[in-house]
Amino acid sequence: MDKRRVVITGIGAVCAAGRDPQAILEAVCAGRSSIGPIRQWDVAHWPMQAAGEISDLNPRDMVEDRKLHKLIRRTDLFGLYAAARAIDASAMVAYRATLASDAAAAYSDRTGVYVGSGGGNYESQYDYFPLLTTANEELPAFGRELSSTVNPMWLLRTLPNNVLGHIGIRHGFKGANACITNHSIGGTLAVIEATEALRTGEADRALAVGHDAPIEPQMVLYYHDVGLLSKDTIRPFDARRDGSLFGEGAAAFALETEDSALSRAAPILGEVLGGASATDAQGLLAIRDDGDALARAMESALTDAGIRASDVGMIAAHGNGTPQSDASEAAAIRRVFGDNAPPATAFKWAFGHLIAGAGIIEAVLALESLRRRIVPGTATFAVADPVCAGVKVSAEPQLPRSDVVMVLCRGFAGTNAALLLRAAA
Amino acid sequence: MTAKRRIAITGLGLVTPVGNDVATTWTALLAGKSGGAAISLFDASGFPVRIASEVKRFDAAAAVDDRKLLKFANRSHGFALAAAEQALVDAGIRPTSTDAERWGCAVGTGMMGVDFAELVAVHRHSAPDGELDATRLLDDASANNPLVFCRSQSTTGLSLLTRRHDIRGYATSVHTACASGGQAIGTALKLIRRGSVDYALAGGFDSMISPVGIAGFCLLSALSVDNDTPERASRPFDITRNGFLLGEGAGFLVLEEWESARQRGAHVYAELAGDGNSLSSYRITDSPPDGDGPIQSMRQALADAGASIGDVDYINAHGTSTFMNDRSESAAIHAVFGARVRDVAVSSTKSSMGHLIAAAGAVEVAICALAIRHGELPVNANLREQDPECDLALVRDKPQQRRVRVALSNSFGFGGSNSCVALRRPEDVDGIGFQR
Repeated sequence: MDKRRVVITGIGAVCAAGRDPQAILEAVCAGRSSIGPIRQWDVAHWPMQAAGEISDLNPRDMVEDRKLHKLIRRTDLFGLYAAARAIDASAMVAYRATLASDAAAAYSDRTGVYVGSGGGNYESQYDYFPLLTTANEELPAFGRELSSTVNPMWLLRTLPNNVLGHIGIRHGFKGANACITNHSIGGTLAVIEATEALRTGEADRALAVGHDAPIEPQMVLYYHDVGLLSKDTIRPFDARRDGSLFGEGAAAFALETEDSALSRAAPILGEVLGGASATDAQGLLAIRDDGDALARAMESALTDAGIRASDVGMIAAHGNGTPQSDASEAAAIRRVFGDNAPPATAFKWAFGHLIAGAGIIEAVLALESLRRRIVPGTATFAVADPVCAGVKVSAEPQLPRSDVVMVLCRGFAGTNAALLLRAAA
Repeated sequence: MTAKRRIAITGLGLVTPVGNDVATTWTALLAGKSGGAAISLFDASGFPVRIASEVKRFDAAAAVDDRKLLKFANRSHGFALAAAEQALVDAGIRPTSTDAERWGCAVGTGMMGVDFAELVAVHRHSAPDGELDATRLLDDASANNPLVFCRSQSTTGLSLLTRRHDIRGYATSVHTACASGGQAIGTALKLIRRGSVDYALAGGFDSMISPVGIAGFCLLSALSVDNDTPERASRPFDITRNGFLLGEGAGFLVLEEWESARQRGAHVYAELAGDGNSLSSYRITDSPPDGDGPIQSMRQALADAGASIGDVDYINAHGTSTFMNDRSESAAIHAVFGARVRDVAVSSTKSSMGHLIAAAGAVEVAICALAIRHGELPVNANLREQDPECDLALVRDKPQQRRVRVALSNSFGFGGSNSCVALRRPEDVDGIGFQR
């Protein structure tokens, strides 16, 4: 049976570099980094102070519904915003409004939602600090004073699947769904699973979203302590690279079967050709030097898409800027592409590592880049590292070799994912 | 069109409040034995709810012979490692160096966070006045302890399982609150069906019986406050039900592509036949009174399994024992089964175990597999006066002997995600029962 083709009819994104894919890509192409000093808390005494924070954040600009703000966290705000932008761009909800009520109900039942979520944070638990102070850390008093001190909605605000639930409620989508809490590859897996749901007929259209807001003191400290953070700048594949930096934000794709998009004459921005995931199974933080699971994910994605490595015209690398990950990513790229890899870019230097939102925002930007027939420069790249040979990354913009991009993504627990997109002509 | 690849359930593992293995849990469920008791894990004397359904006498080190690995595990990860070990032993198959890439892993993971003792330690050092002082955090022992970090990540459990068992294919963690376990099983089904992997270790694990976990549910008034009668606190579909009983534990299944399981002579509990999931898109905690949402997930699971309502003999209900859920679920079952509703036996095993949250769906799919294997249905315990608005053919007072052709496992989560998993008796697939 031929798989149903899955097309992209809307995109949305928000991060430190901007609030829509076009603005973010323009910042990237201008070589402008949005990484700067953290402002959410006083970092004067902190040894690491940089991140890609979304500044001047007015929650009402992101999500209008004031009542909702009591029920969601910062990360959810970004996810709901990016989702709404992709939905608006695709006009899939506007189209539903033109249908008779039975058809509209069926349309909603056949619309899925797939979300990659960070899965939680440390700050949520700090909501219990005032109570611990009042109770002098004694449990009986903690229990007695509970309801007079803590927001009754605490558990709901903390749910990792808030974006999924609230997209459903706000936009009336009721179909197949998942909330994937798989660290950095969550957003990419949301695209892969949404695509599979459309291919197999579980749904006719779906939203894929990834969102995260990892910039909080305890998280930054842990990442610093285990040696993952740079002092100041992400330098993907550069010999001087010394670590990664957090960003925050979200991105979303509106996806449809080709039939669904054509039947309502929707604008088609591109196509999801395929994807795959594999794991190295060596623990939470360990990375194999040879990038084995990433290479397997890349090979499986090519098989899934039914194309060859030579068909790929651009690589959007994970390039998180840590010495070990970039070297092993380069090893995987050499294994799959030999010495003939297409031009590559790595976006994280411009706005940081969005963790659960990373793979999907980079996929959105890669699609937008291909539509402009450009492989954006990686502005912080200057000194080639022999261990990263074979990755055709450059500070200058390059020309893509075709209209297909492979987007790479890696996370804790040795997880890896590869996604293949084609930009519409 | 080529036929869908079928999936066999060949191994089960359970760590539950009523037993730390499959056999003990199953016996307890048939008897309707309750796991409810006064909370022993911490001093709950000041809390409005002082009861829970704890896993008892669990010894992670005895269950999982890897002390180094257990250093990175919290309580729920210990349950997961133990249940996964049982499932692999039961299936008699493990990833090897030649097929590790063909094994996947899908887990329903609970909410991320640090253990309460660590939260208190951070409070004491860095937030004595109730607000975090970020500068103090810099030399906070807990906030600089890599073990605390590694134990508190959303993929900690996944990393421990894949590392211990050398699973190298598609590995993922999902969270849709109380539907997590069911969605994890459904994810694994799809991975095998579409050929991403040939084998999968799939399940769920959770433990929210902590001051913060109990507090979160207390604040929502979701828990039964029957502090004097913990063994009767969970009574799904009873007119007097007043909330759920918080449980903890883990459930894991070994899943294999059907033909290869048959070729190696594996015992097959059931076919993992279908998966349905939907969004209620109603309210974040409330269930739609008319069952909208669960209706679609049940219908999809049946369609996906190629089964009709006439094939279904048993439903393991979500049945949380909250007023709203049980009525909404009853309405949904009525809508799907119509006049056939009298012929479908229903029980909520949360009546015995309590609500295992992210583990619940996976544990309950395993229970459906056992119901098919043994031809016996666990009791809906603590049912004295059935709510007339929950007019279902409940398995009451004693277990029911019944050949189960198709069983459904329902799980509905906060946030509106609904999961339904369909299982089929192996005899009805190829004429072969549990053992050849």
